[in-house]
Amino acid sequence: MPATDRWKEDEGLLERLRKGAPGAVEELLRLYQGKIFSLAMSILKNESDAEEATQDVFMTVIRKVNTFKGNSAFYSWIYRICVNTCLMRLRGRRRGDTVAIEDFMPVFTEEGMHASPVDDWSKEVERKALNEELGKMIRKFTEELSEKYRVVFVLSDIEGLSNEETAKILGMSVPAVKSRLHRARLYLREQLSRYLQEGKAD
Amino acid sequence: MNCKELAYLLADYLDGSMDPRIRAELDEHIARCKACMIFAKTYRLTCRKAAELRGDIHYEIPDEVQERLTAFLVSAARKFPGQMDDYRRQAERECEEKVLAFCRAAVEGKLSSMAAIMMDGHIAVCPKCREYFVVLRSAHADLCLPPREILEHVVRLLESLPPGEEFFLV
Ligand SMILES: [Zn+2]
Repeated sequence: MPATDRWKEDEGLLERLRKGAPGAVEELLRLYQGKIFSLAMSILKNESDAEEATQDVFMTVIRKVNTFKGNSAFYSWIYRICVNTCLMRLRGRRRGDTVAIEDFMPVFTEEGMHASPVDDWSKEVERKALNEELGKMIRKFTEELSEKYRVVFVLSDIEGLSNEETAKILGMSVPAVKSRLHRARLYLREQLSRYLQEGKAD
Repeated sequence: MNCKELAYLLADYLDGSMDPRIRAELDEHIARCKACMIFAKTYRLTCRKAAELRGDIHYEIPDEVQERLTAFLVSAARKFPGQMDDYRRQAERECEEKVLAFCRAAVEGKLSSMAAIMMDGHIAVCPKCREYFVVLRSAHADLCLPPREILEHVVRLLESLPPGEEFFLV
């Protein structure tokens, strides 16, 4: 759906939610329940947590719909509430095992040259048989990222939002989003590189 | 341009937002540096593989979850119109408490570094807030809720902090 149509649809919905019109909540859920649940799953990685978070998100949306200012798009407001709710839940939870992203950044000599040889694994990756396993590995590596990077990666590369949209939802600047996204990708590249090299050695 | 600089410019290089002159420099480096050629190639491939997973990683909401949520939320919302004013008042109260806590932290120098930077940025361009906080800091007066206009600016500042980030030092 083109952005302008989505915007119009949202605006009408917003008005009806504010008035408490019949069917408005059902429509809100029809449009956003699946998306919000999926986003919550990507961050929380647990179905019952994601269900509770989704419930909290929509309770917040219904309660606060009167305070929504309309200076950002409605969906980005809902996404933001979702990210906030999920991060709050994560904080209350024992921290899962996350990796130190610094350990996966490329290393350079003092002259700024690559300090170790860069392995070309593009051919291995293109081999079809590897695809499913590779997908699993990418998922696993992503889940090991700390939330700071994972949330940006999830919104931009999994949800497919633009850097501008992600920035708005997270209340960050576009350059800050880009820099986190870039680091997440550098990390993933390095993880894939190590993983594929191990496979070669076997 | 060296390999290190190139590695940190790759995202701009790939999304096309790069200045053409820098792009030319990058192309030139890649043409004569095999390590960077491979690095750029595998970086691009990483992005592509992650994007291919997009549909895959999408978590479907199970039917029973959907039914449960819908039933709960629709009935919660039905009780809602009567409670609207309560909620609104409660939201307002929470907001005012937060603004007050922010002012206190600002006066006592206990803002988080992120909040302090944003605050400095704001008062640099907003004379009203600058004046208000200068007086507040010097007067050692009892803290009370700032006037509407300043309150709104503080609220906007609080809203633009990254999610999950507290505005005070812990
Ligand atoms: Zn190089």
